[in-house]
Amino acid sequence: MRRLAPAALVLTGALALAGCGGSDDAQADLSVSAAYMPQPVSDTMAAGYLTIANQGGTKDELTSVTSDLGEVTVHETVNATMREVTHFAVPAHGQLVFSSGGNHLMFEKLKRKPKRGDTVSLELHFAESAAVTVKMPVKSATYDPKTGH
Amino acid sequence: MRKNTIAAAALLAAATLTLSACGSSADSGSPVTVVSEQAGSEKAATVLDKPFEKPDLVLTDTHGKKYDLREQTAGKPTLIYFGYTNCPDICPTTMSNIAVAKKQLSKADQDQLRIVFVTTDPERDTPAALGKWLKGIDPQVVGLTGDFATIQAGARTVGISIEPPSKDKNGKTVSMHGTQVIAFSPKTDAGYVLYGEDAVVDDYIKDLPKLIKGENP
Repeated sequence: MRRLAPAALVLTGALALAGCGGSDDAQADLSVSAAYMPQPVSDTMAAGYLTIANQGGTKDELTSVTSDLGEVTVHETVNATMREVTHFAVPAHGQLVFSSGGNHLMFEKLKRKPKRGDTVSLELHFAESAAVTVKMPVKSATYDPKTGH
Repeated sequence: MRKNTIAAAALLAAATLTLSACGSSADSGSPVTVVSEQAGSEKAATVLDKPFEKPDLVLTDTHGKKYDLREQTAGKPTLIYFGYTNCPDICPTTMSNIAVAKKQLSKADQDQLRIVFVTTDPERDTPAALGKWLKGIDPQVVGLTGDFATIQAGARTVGISIEPPSKDKNGKTVSMHGTQVIAFSPKTDAGYVLYGEDAVVDDYIKDLPKLIKGENP
């Protein structure tokens, strides 16, 4: 019993090492956080934000986004102009951030108008990794992710 | 037992170190995009040393009527923003922030405040389209549309540069929005405070009572 405990810990340590050191040939390891949609003003159009983190050692690319809410395109904002982008890199050990005033998901031809408290389901498609399903909560039109209200 | 505990602690520490080393390498990587971290952003407002004159804009409001900006906002606290309704991201957020903050004012102050949304995409933003969109934000907001060149020239006088909408390769219209909200004083009618895109609803809630009086936020 005495010996087992540290052994288990060694193993944990080793696993941590493997997860990290194996990054040379590891696959992209994606996770999504901070997803939200401000309740839209328009009944045809909405924006969505999220962060895709890649803990793996290989980059991946976001190639498309689909949702039952409507058509989704991915945009970057450059000089106060939105520009549609077809591929967004998710760098190894990095992240791809969609946030207000920057990159954003644009939902068009909405089938319904999302209201605060709703959840919008979407699927992120990548060049390498399997698709990731995201449940995106609809927040107030003035939601500030920094303060959470 | 104590020995084991120490060993375990050491191992835990080692594992933690390994993990944190891993985490820090993630930080030093170069993500394509980084969240803009305005450290604290204690003040959203920029008070101008040299205020702007109010743009001499005569446009069409959401009822299809002529609206003379200088004449109709004279002596009133006024916020002006240049944007367009086919904008999912920053335009509705900016307008909603202002509208929600406005509701915290007294009824009398709300009636004093002029919130003016000037379209940068007049072709699509007809008076009716603007009216419909603004109704979802605050029916008291004044929506203005008209000739693009006129709007562009007016925007330029307050330091806002907008280009005419263009078509992208898929034939979709690409428009530009202003990056700032300009607050005009009821005392001088001059544009004396700017808010950038990072201004949040709490900033406007905090500042509107001062702007209403023409005071510095």
